[in-house]
Order: sequence, then C-alpha cells, then structure tokens
Amino acid sequence: MTQSLAPRLLGAKVKRVEDPRFLLGKARYIDDMVRPGMLHAAFLRSPIPHGNVRSVDVGPALAMERVRAALTGRDIATKVKPIVCDSTFEGFKSSNYHAIALDKVRYVGEALAIVAADTRYIAEDAIEMIEFDIDELGPVASIAAATREGAPLLHEHWGDNFFIEDLLEAGDVESAFRDAHGVFEINVSNQRHSGIPLETRGVIAEFDSDGVLTMWSATQIPHMVRTGMADCLEVPEHKIRVIAPDVGGGFGPKGHLFPEELAVCQLAIETGRPIKWIEDRREHMLSTFHAREHYHRVKVAYTEEGVVTALDATIEVDCGAYSIYPWTAAMDVEMGLVMLPGPYKIRNFRCEAQSVATNKCPFGAYRGVARTAVCFSIERIMDQVANKVGLDPVEVRRRNLIRSDEFPYMSITGMEYDSGSLIESLDKVCDEADYKAMRQFQEEARSEGRMVGIGVSVFTEQTAPPADKGLPLNFSWDAATVRMDPSGKVVVQVGTHSHGQGHETTLAQIVADELELPLADVRIAFGDTESTPNGIGTFASRSAVVAGSASYLAAVSVKENLTERAAHLLEASVEDVEVKAGRISVKGAPEQSVSIAEVARISYHHPELLDPSMEPLLEAVATYNAGPGTYANSAQIALIEVDAETGKFKILRYLVVEDCGQMINPTIVDGQVHGGIAQGLGGALFEELIYDDEGQLLTTTFLDYLMPGATDIPNIEVSHLVTPSAFVPNGIKGMGEGGAVAPGAVLACAIEDAIKPIGEVFVDRTPLTPERVVRFIEAASSGGGVE
Amino acid sequence: MKPARFEYLAPTSVEEAVSLLVEGGEDAKLLAGGQSLVPLMNLRLAQPSVLIDLNKVEGISSITESEDAVVIGSMARHRAVAESEVVRRFLPLLAESAGHIGYPAIRARGTIGGSIAHADPVSEFPCACLCLHAEFVLTGPAGTRQVRAEDFFVSYLTTALSPDEILTEVRFPKPSPGLGWGFLELARKTGDFALAAVAATVALSPDGTCSEASIAVAGGGDRPLRMVEAETMLKGNQGDDVIARAATAAATSSNPPSDIHSSGDFRRQMIEVLTRRVLTAAWGNARRGE
Ligand SMILES: Cc1cc2nc3c(=O)[nH]c(=O)nc-3n(C[C@H](O)[C@H](O)[C@H](O)COP(=O)(O)OP(=O)(O)OC[C@H]3O[C@@H](n4cnc5c(N)ncnc54)[C@H](O)[C@@H]3O)c2cc1C
Repeated sequence: MTQSLAPRLLGAKVKRVEDPRFLLGKARYIDDMVRPGMLHAAFLRSPIPHGNVRSVDVGPALAMERVRAALTGRDIATKVKPIVCDSTFEGFKSSNYHAIALDKVRYVGEALAIVAADTRYIAEDAIEMIEFDIDELGPVASIAAATREGAPLLHEHWGDNFFIEDLLEAGDVESAFRDAHGVFEINVSNQRHSGIPLETRGVIAEFDSDGVLTMWSATQIPHMVRTGMADCLEVPEHKIRVIAPDVGGGFGPKGHLFPEELAVCQLAIETGRPIKWIEDRREHMLSTFHAREHYHRVKVAYTEEGVVTALDATIEVDCGAYSIYPWTAAMDVEMGLVMLPGPYKIRNFRCEAQSVATNKCPFGAYRGVARTAVCFSIERIMDQVANKVGLDPVEVRRRNLIRSDEFPYMSITGMEYDSGSLIESLDKVCDEADYKAMRQFQEEARSEGRMVGIGVSVFTEQTAPPADKGLPLNFSWDAATVRMDPSGKVVVQVGTHSHGQGHETTLAQIVADELELPLADVRIAFGDTESTPNGIGTFASRSAVVAGSASYLAAVSVKENLTERAAHLLEASVEDVEVKAGRISVKGAPEQSVSIAEVARISYHHPELLDPSMEPLLEAVATYNAGPGTYANSAQIALIEVDAETGKFKILRYLVVEDCGQMINPTIVDGQVHGGIAQGLGGALFEELIYDDEGQLLTTTFLDYLMPGATDIPNIEVSHLVTPSAFVPNGIKGMGEGGAVAPGAVLACAIEDAIKPIGEVFVDRTPLTPERVVRFIEAASSGGGVE
Repeated sequence: MKPARFEYLAPTSVEEAVSLLVEGGEDAKLLAGGQSLVPLMNLRLAQPSVLIDLNKVEGISSITESEDAVVIGSMARHRAVAESEVVRRFLPLLAESAGHIGYPAIRARGTIGGSIAHADPVSEFPCACLCLHAEFVLTGPAGTRQVRAEDFFVSYLTTALSPDEILTEVRFPKPSPGLGWGFLELARKTGDFALAAVAATVALSPDGTCSEASIAVAGGGDRPLRMVEAETMLKGNQGDDVIARAATAAATSSNPPSDIHSSGDFRRQMIEVLTRRVLTAAWGNARRGE
C-alpha cells in the first residue's frame, strides 16, 4: 500500500459536492418518481393491539370506482413468507412477521390489508370501506404486563413473552461486592422514541414481463433488503433489483426490511402495475420501528477512592411484537450487555438481559443502538459514585477511565477496544470549557439565587462493528468498485448508501487522493443493486470505515494497473515511475511522463500498445472487513440554567470533544456531531412514543410527539483529538452516532448538579420535561429525592 | 392522510360567503388559514362536504383604528397582527401573544378569526381577546351581531358562532393610557402549544394601587378563563403579597386537564407562577394615572 505523496484532500474541509442538489430542491426522492400506469396504495392498519383476525373483507373497497386491487393476509398467505429473523443466541424464540397480518394482530398499526387505486385519495377512501372482524385479546402494553403471571401471550407457542433471556458473567462479582467500600443500586429508564427522518418511508414496486421485480425504496440497506425479499417472495434474488435513490434521512429506522415493502411488491406482482406507497406521518409513528425503550437496574460496588469495581445489572428492553430483519429482537439487549461498562475499567461484571415481547410496534435500530441507554446508566453511576465519595464528577471519571497506554483493551465483556483517548478527551473538553471558570461562574450564580448546573459525560463509540455474534448474518465488510473510464475519470460504486452523511464527498476525497486526481474527476454511485457490487449498507457508523477502505483498496489496485501500463508506455520499470497530480512520470525525469487520461485512453482504445499480458479494463473491486470494529470516543460538557419554578432550562454552553481518528472531512465530522447532539437532545428533552395501558399509541402526530427545532438547540462547540485507528487504512474510525449517545446523560448530570444546593436528587429517566424537573426540585427540597 | 372528498367554493364577498354557508348546511365549513382545519381534514377527523374559502373575500383582513377602537378583520394573519403598527401601539399585549403562536410559517397563514373560531382553550388569541375585552362581529343571513369575548367561548372548540355565521371582525376598545400589561406562556418547546399562558392588564391609581385589572388564562380549562376573583383581590391594593394571593386565586379557579405533556396539577401550578410573573411585569410597565 503506497501512501499518497501529498495528501491533498484527506482531512481537508472540502465542501459537500452533493449539497447543491439538496439545497436547490433538485434531489429525487421516491415520491418524486412517477412510473407509467402507476397505482397508489394505502394500508388498512389495525386499530386493535392484540386480537385474532376472524375476517377481513375487501369486497366493498373493490366495488368502488377506480379501486384496482386489494390484498389481505389470507390472499398472500401461500405466496409471501413471513419475515423471520432469529438470533443465533441460544434460547431465542422465533416470530413470524407477516407482510399483512394473517391470524393475529399484535400491535396497533399492523397492516390488515393493502388497497391500490388510481390515486392515494381514492385508496384512502377505499380503506374506510373494508370490513374486518377481530376477536380482541388482552393487550400487553408494557414489560410489567408481559411478564406477570397469566399474562396474555403474543406468540402462544412460546409459553411466555420473552424473545430471549441472557446472562453474562465475568470476573468475580461476589468478592468485589463483599470487598467494596460502598454499594448502591440505580434504577433507570430511557423512553421509547425513534429517528424521525423528514422523508417518511416510501416504496414503488414494478414487476416486468421478464419476471424482474424492481423496487425503489427509501432504504439504507438496498442489498440486505434484496436478500430479505428473495427469502420471502417467490422471486429469486437475481431477478430482484432494489434502488434506493435520494433518501431524506435514515438514522437507523430506514435500515430494515419492512412488511410494507413485501406487500407493495406482491401487489405489483399480482397486478402487473407499478405500485407506489408513501408512508404518511401517522403511519410512520405507528409502524416505522421504534427504539430506545430500555430499563436498567444496576448494583454498583466502589472503593473509597471512587473506583467502580463491579456491576451487577439487569437490562430489560421492550421489543414490541416481532423480531425485525436483519437485526433481530436481541440486538438491543446483546449490545447493551457488552457495552454497559463503556469507557470504564470495570473488571467484575454480571448482567441479566431480557428482550420482552409486547403489543407495541416492533423495535429496531436508531442512531446509537443501546449505547444511549448504557451511556445513561454508566454515567448516572459515575455521578452517584462522585456524590458518595465526595468527588467532582470529572475527577471520578478520570479515576475510572481506561488510560491511553492500556489500548488495545479487552473489556470485561470481551469487546476489543482498538485505541482511544478517553482521559485526554475529558481533559480537553474541560480545557475548552474552562471548567474551573465554569465552576466559578456557577458559584457566583448560586450566590445570586440562580440555579446553574454542569453536566459531563465520556463514552466510547463502537463503530463499524462486526456483529458476528448473534445475528443471522455477519456484516463486518463492504465492497467498492473503482472504475476508470477512457478519459481517465472515475466512478466509484459502493454497497453502502448515503442519506445525508456526505459520502459523495468523503469517499471521493479518499479515492481522488489515492489516484492523484482532482475531486471533480471522481463520482460516487450507490443505491442500486444492479450497478453496485454486492454490499451491506449504511448503519452503525460503518461507511467511512468499510466503504472508505474498500474504495481505497480498489483505488490502490487501479493505481497499480495504471502504473504498470504507464511504465510499459514510458519504457521504464514499475519501480521507477510515480503517480503525481494526474501524471505518471519516471522518477527524477519528470519530462518523461504520460497523463493518467492518456494511459486510460490507450488502455481502452489502443490495447495493442500495451503488453499482451495487460488487460484493457481499468477497474477493480475490493472488499474490506473491519474485523472487530474500531472505537471512537467523545467527551461532552454542558452548562445549564434552570428556571426553578417552571422547570424549563437553558443550555448556556454545550461542548464536545470528538476523537474519530483521522478525519476525512472535518466539516462533515462537525455536521455529524451537531446532528447527533440535536437528536440526542430531542430524546433528552422532548421525544416520546407513548402507549396507554390498552396498547394505543397516543403520539401519532407532531402535536403529541415533540421534536427539537432550531431554537431548542444550543450553539455546539466542537473540537477534536486525533487517535488514528490502529488498523483501518488511513487511520479512519466511524463517528456517525456518537453525538446522539450522551446528551441524556450530560443533562441528567447537569440537572442534579443544578439542584444540589437545595438537596440531592437522582435523575432516573428522560425526557426532562418541565414537570419532571419541577418534581425533582420539589423532591430535593423535601429531602426525599435520593433512592 | 388525505382528506375525504369535498366541494371547494371561493366566494369574494361576505354576503356570498354567508349564502353559500346557508346553502351548504351543517356539512359546510369555512376555510381561513387552514392551519387547524386542514390537519383535521387530513386526519379525517373533520370531513366537511363543502369548503368555503374566505381567502378571496374582500374587506375582512385589514387592521384599522377608530377613535375608541382597534378593528381587526378576521382574515388578518397572525403575522400581520404581530407586526401591525396600530396593534403594537395600542395593544402590545396582543402583538406579544401573536409571537407565541406556532412558527413563522404558521403565523404567515393562520388568521385571527380562524384562531378565535377554532377556540382551542390553549390558544393565545382567545386568551388575549378575553383579557383585552374584545368584541366579535358575527355576520349571518340576518345581518350582524356583536358578542363579547366573555360570552363567546363556550367550551372546548365550541363557541357562540352559529353554523350560518362568519366571524368578520374583532373589535378591541382602545385601552386607557398608561395601562400596564403582560403576557407569558410556558410551552415544552419554542413555538409549541402552551401548557399554560396568562395575559393581564393593570391600571394604577395615582397612589399606586390597582384601579382596574384584567386577567385571562389559557390552558386552565375547556376555554380561556377570566380570573374575576383574582382581579377583585387586586383592586385598591398593591404589593407582592396581593399579587401572590391573586396568582394563587387564579390557580385555584382553574381546572386544567391532564394530558401526555403535563398533568393538570402541574398546569395549575404553572398558572400560579405565570400569573404572578405577568402581574409583576404589568405593574412594572403601568404608569400611574392622574
Ligand atoms: C404546527 C402548528 C402549530 C401551531 N401552534 C399554535 C399555537 O402555538 N397557538 C395557537 O393558538 N395556534 C397554533 N396553531 C393553530 C393556528 O394558530 C391556526 O392558524 C388557528 O388555530 C386557526 O386559524 P386558521 O386561520 O388557520 O383557521 P382554519 O384552520 O382555516 O379554520 C379553523 C376553524 O375555524 C373556522 N373558521 C375560520 N375562520 C372563520 C371565520 N372567519 N368565521 C367563522 N369560522 C371560521 C373554520 O371553519 C375551522 O373550523 C398551530 C398550527 C400548526 C399547524
């Protein structure tokens, strides 16, 4: 692997090449597309959370004018297999997730029928005409309801409502607790919410006379979706083409195979007409997979110096009705289980984890899977330890963090942290904040009767993880093709997908550097299974690492080919030529040179001038496997001022130090941090998907589900450390999710700190609504706030 | 989220609109800014068979001043109200309240008439109108009648408007010079619907005591509420103590609902806090009468 002689683009704040398209409204989303003869679909969704489906009669809908087709669960039962996604962990219980509910409905919003009509308006009129009969069963709307004696069973043959129960034990927990200076327990929860992309889901399916099924879908993972479709539909994988055009935000929720995709495809197959379905916002709230709902109970052992020696934990996740493809209903618990110790050197660990099935929307991926919850728990623990031993929250963290010289570090749960700068990040964020001055400001404010608090958090960010354990497929790799055309310009085709992350810029930076070409000569293509190598997709902060490295490796091999050909044309040996600034020349004799464009032209159009052993094609495919994944890390500090009477608080400062190794493009890194923090604050302050005890979702519009707006997000001060990955080419680490991980933990810490002069409280949950904050303040003043 | 079928009509005069409304019967609905009605239609919670668009009706969107009143046409946009010179001069409380309604896009479309006719109990305008003693001009087949804000709001989304009437004007008596005022609200996030909002005006006697007070609360029940008991307590008095007692009285007179954003208890608690702060602010900017 030759290093670029003069890295021009890697690490530069290059403007995003895709921005003009998006900013000028020229992007093309699913809903912008019209196919000849296209029909519009709408779904009838169950208003009942749990029940046996006795009948669904689409007759009255089909009798309406301009209604063209309708399908029920029965209609497709023999043709579309249910989505089954089993964890390979022992004891995992399988669920059948039908594209359209067959015998049973298990959550409000589950599809009961699909209708296609000439317009969406008519389709929605038709939906209202469908008659159905459901025998209601008792709703199971919470973990408590699912686990109590005699609870109704979602999947009867299971015998209980657990997808999986797991236990991990390492070290000597018993002795650690026996020898502890102090022991306490925390009980915390994170509320159900999810990623809310501006563009909802959308699908167009078309089945042609050759039996080829083309599906346009707003998905993050076109290749994996194709595999899932082939598993469920009667169309073989080589006759399925999945196209993900411009996608208006993904955040994880768009990284699944959805039952609606299968239903729309089946309707296209049966009608021979292209079918479009655009999810509306209400459907999004009801049926795009939810996330985040974790309940943790953790017993903690610590020393007199404030060092945590052992954790004894229970993690419960409310996973909703079905196991989702491709992540399974074990994803959150398994990830929580191994990541709970986070950035801290905890050597004795016991954790029970349970994924519970309930009559709620299935539970899937959202930016920072499980890590938001475990960060909240472990950071709440650090703050408690700080209180108990009388240390500053920064100091207590410093005493527990893994030191830089301890990397690579094997965590007690068996995770291999490749590298990091945890203590340095914490120190740097304190420097940037001028932590001492901040504390002084707090003192002065307090003396004026103001309620000011400081919150801090440090975390490791597992990126490009292998997920080789537990999942039905291992997604540690991805692929790229670098194709040089006869003019010497390049198209890079990748298996990942960009839906806001800026890959059209960052991947081009990597390839342009390696090939010594200007950025404008490299174009990045993705999102079409027909024209990209088989790959995996975009999620888990993986694309920079896996697609970036695969693109890099493919570029390296194209460069080798170029060099060989140029050497032949220059009648020099390969060792004696070098590639620089678009030309290949003999070392020390720059006048003896050819341009890359000339070599490309000759390669394709005058191959007779090459050595017979050389092939005309200047193209290479490469895969890259990120092995155990790579770890970024971050530290965040916030300064807040609370209105003690109303519970509203202002974030006066929010600082972040991010270390994601070598940055490809610092502007894009900052953007990812900003967006992540905004989403994290959304979860910390506002966002919540609330079910009542009857299993009805109460938050189906933005009137009920609050999202942060620009005025709710503070200025975010981002700075960087650079600890390159020890093994990824160019030292790159992922960083897409980290911003979203810590805000809940930071603000919980800050609120407690603000209230401290009144009394001690324990902030055990989010969102931090005005009412909740006021109740914490009241509890503190009545002295009843600590567990 | 597509509305059910409806017929669309766009009259250009109030008379025409009224006669279409009469023809359309129970299922006809007026369309103003559409910021409350259209979402309800998209969710199919409202399914009017006829939609009568007021946007082309002439003469009902101006903001004018007479000797003793400020008159706002019902189709004046929230933003026009917030930015109007006349409103800012005579009714700063109304201008302030408009700034709390939703977001710029909502304020650019939404109308004062629509907000009042919709009568959401947490809305800013109904609360401000109540505080400022507004009167509403309603035009129907039999001509016009005037209804005081106090008599207009009946309960949740229900008003004194009869189905064949259009709210055409909102009339505010010009306040006496030196009137102190305040408007405050608490919402979970900027621009969101209020958990509670309080509007108040205070007139002071030369000795600094309160000669007249008007307090209205949004979010305190199924309609905007005048806080008569609190107002009475203030009259002839001054000082933090009486303000605090009046605030407590306002909270006690409220009966706010619980929902996913807040319990009723918390809303009541906030009504107390906001009333105290609003009265303090109003006292602060009131000038003593001679
Ligand atoms: C995102 C969002 C946020 C919002 N936030 C707030 C907020 O914070 N505070 C707030 O108060 N409002 C808020 N609103 C509502 C907004 O203020 C609406 O504009 C207002 O409630 C209704 O006014 P409109 O002109 O849009 O009326 P429309 O939606 O057109 O009509 C509303 C109702 O009033 C009737 N109507 C309209 N005009 C007349 C008339 N002249 N005579 C008789 N009946 C009439 C209609 O038939 C309909 O029933 C928000 C709306 C949105 C979409």
